[in-house]
Amino acid sequence: MTELTSQSERDDLRESVRAFLAAKNDEAALRRAIESDAGYDEQAWTQMADQLGLQSLVVPEQYGGDGLGLVELGVVLEEMGRVLLPGPFFSTVVLAGSALAAAGGSAAEELLPELATGARRASLAVLEADARWKTDGFATSARPDGSGWRLAGEKSVVADGMAADVVVVAAQTDSGPALFAVTGDDGVSRQPLRTLDLTRRAARLTLTEAPAQLVAGPDQARAVLDTVLARATTALAAEQVGAARACLDLSVGYAKDRVQFGRVIGSFQAVKHKCADMFTRVQLADAAAGDAARAVDGLDDHLSAATASAVAHAVCSEAAMFVAMENIQVHGGIGFTWEHPAHLYFRRAKASQLMFGGPSVYFERVLASLGA
Amino acid sequence: MIELDEFTAQVRAFLDGAAQRRPHPTGMVTWGEGTDRISYFGDEPAEVDKANVDAARDWQRIRFEAGFGWITGPEEYGGRGLSRLHDLAYDSVESEYDVPDTGVLSLIGLGMIGPTILEHARAEIRDAYLPAMYRGEVIACQLFSEPGAGSDLANVQTKAVRDGDEWVLSGQKVWTSVAHHSQIGMALCRTNPEQPKHKGITAFLVDMSLPGVEVRPLRQMSGGSEFNEVFLSDVRVPDDHRLGEVDGGWRVTMTTLMNERGSVGGEGAGPVSHVVQAPFLLAMLAAHGHSDDGALRRRLAEVVADLIATESLNRRAVRTLQAGGTPGPEASVSKLMFGSNLTRAAHLAAEIAGPAMAADTGLWGTYSWNELLLSTPALRILGGTEEIMKNILGERVLGLPKEPGNDAKVPFKDQLQAGAAS
Repeated sequence: MTELTSQSERDDLRESVRAFLAAKNDEAALRRAIESDAGYDEQAWTQMADQLGLQSLVVPEQYGGDGLGLVELGVVLEEMGRVLLPGPFFSTVVLAGSALAAAGGSAAEELLPELATGARRASLAVLEADARWKTDGFATSARPDGSGWRLAGEKSVVADGMAADVVVVAAQTDSGPALFAVTGDDGVSRQPLRTLDLTRRAARLTLTEAPAQLVAGPDQARAVLDTVLARATTALAAEQVGAARACLDLSVGYAKDRVQFGRVIGSFQAVKHKCADMFTRVQLADAAAGDAARAVDGLDDHLSAATASAVAHAVCSEAAMFVAMENIQVHGGIGFTWEHPAHLYFRRAKASQLMFGGPSVYFERVLASLGA
Repeated sequence: MIELDEFTAQVRAFLDGAAQRRPHPTGMVTWGEGTDRISYFGDEPAEVDKANVDAARDWQRIRFEAGFGWITGPEEYGGRGLSRLHDLAYDSVESEYDVPDTGVLSLIGLGMIGPTILEHARAEIRDAYLPAMYRGEVIACQLFSEPGAGSDLANVQTKAVRDGDEWVLSGQKVWTSVAHHSQIGMALCRTNPEQPKHKGITAFLVDMSLPGVEVRPLRQMSGGSEFNEVFLSDVRVPDDHRLGEVDGGWRVTMTTLMNERGSVGGEGAGPVSHVVQAPFLLAMLAAHGHSDDGALRRRLAEVVADLIATESLNRRAVRTLQAGGTPGPEASVSKLMFGSNLTRAAHLAAEIAGPAMAADTGLWGTYSWNELLLSTPALRILGGTEEIMKNILGERVLGLPKEPGNDAKVPFKDQLQAGAAS
């Protein structure tokens, strides 16, 4: 399979996204969004869809999207990660969007076009009280009710769960795990959770006989969730690379500017080598994320999509966390203040690292993908 | 210039006639089958070593006669005048065939010194050496490092003093790869101690058979003797063997080092590439009964993830080259990761094997890891120490300032040398 876009088209995409984000999400705007009720700039969300069409990028053409791949979406997510853009883009486009597209059928036909235009925001609710990513054995139950279904149970740490108009919920039926779309407020109680990452909100959803529409039945649900995991960890890797590079840039900029002992601190090998170590991990993460996107998009068969995405998730999670920590050390005291953005990257890095289970889970996934 | 596709077809036609294809790699490892040699530096008996060098020379000659001996070289010296891409294409196709390893000729001589001779030597010297080198007859070594000039190569102290049409060289070189097989060496010598260190060096091509050249094997900690010390005692080198200008040797050296191919494109792992990867390490974990050991699984996964990501980095460098670009800082990053990955893999193997790696109990693929384990410290030193690689990244890539110092400004004779303070 050949690439859907050329390098120069992707460069153009990066440039326009970067310019948009510079205008809409500078640090002052980011801090306003963090303090706001919604947690993100709702006007910018609409402009992102209307002016740049970002929400439709990877939605398949049959559902009104552009049918592009993670190679292209990765460019967008890197830029969003670089400036820690808050809001339901990842939950809508990557989490819910991947689930609906992988499942296909009537739910996809009904919901994906509205996700593609930005008219509705969405998320995916897999985690429960035990906070484990799984594909079976959900405590949340589903029972048929006429032509639809009713869900009961509690879903935890739902990314941007307050903002989502559509929530794809994993629940257990009598014949196995399945995925459902919940689109109304009927029987749904949402509770915002305090979050480590101030730039990505989360909520607990309590479902009490909530009406729901089938997305993927027990014959399909596990495979859909595996596809979602491969795509979501690959997409997250791009975001992590963007955030990690921002930390590296902050450190290098500071090391060239800050003077102690009569020298800029970047001339000390202790600081220079720290920056070189950060650069090394960022380069490695970038290569791993790129190969995962190529593998998931079917552009490269050096690695299976499962291995490439598992490796990228591990390598990029480690890199983003390492670089976010070292960035604070390079800055010293100023990096430990609330006013400095370093802690926002630290928070995002740790929360992202834990999003699909954390190190003990993602390193095992690398081995599992290799058949061990 | 011949199109890449047509060129590749020519390469295939040549190799189909001259060599056997390797069996297709399955990626599977059957524990206990085949050789369990896990060696980075060779430690072969002299007669095996010599046979390998002869095989390398023969294969280089066959390549040269078929027009693939110096793909990027000028036609007047038997080269093909093609691009780096053609060169890469050749390497890629040749890797599918079972052919002798020509590293002894190519890594230093053909890869680095040949291009230096082409750029900086006089016409008669180019005529005398270049075709012979690329035909596999002349092996070249690099007489660069000295006991007092390791990371700080410009600190060389080997003297060259002019005497009519000749120069008299005296001093000691060290860590000289392949010197014991070489017919010529490129030597960096101090010709003007009144100048700052970079400005008083001259480069020479030294016939290794001249009186006063003595090559002594240097036994490294892993047991073998891959490197040498080379003593130069009043060696008389004709002035026409000078490379570049008098006192202009640093510029010549830059040409040599610019041609260092490093480990871009994954050629670095070489002899250990089959063991330092997921299938072999997983098979080893199972063979030692530790497949369910959570702590070992975690460590193994960390190593494997970095190994796979490093391959991605190397493939990206190749794609950049293929797209006509120059690979960026990947080479330095690759080198750092290569040293780190092999070091971690060897220590992981030791942890999996336990006491069975400390003593040779006869278990397949176990005690044999020691050859690699004992080589790993060198991977973080040779070709630029980790500290130097990080300086390169910090200064040339990230734009951070150099350490302040005046060693590049004061005359060489006034510089502090080891032992001067005591």
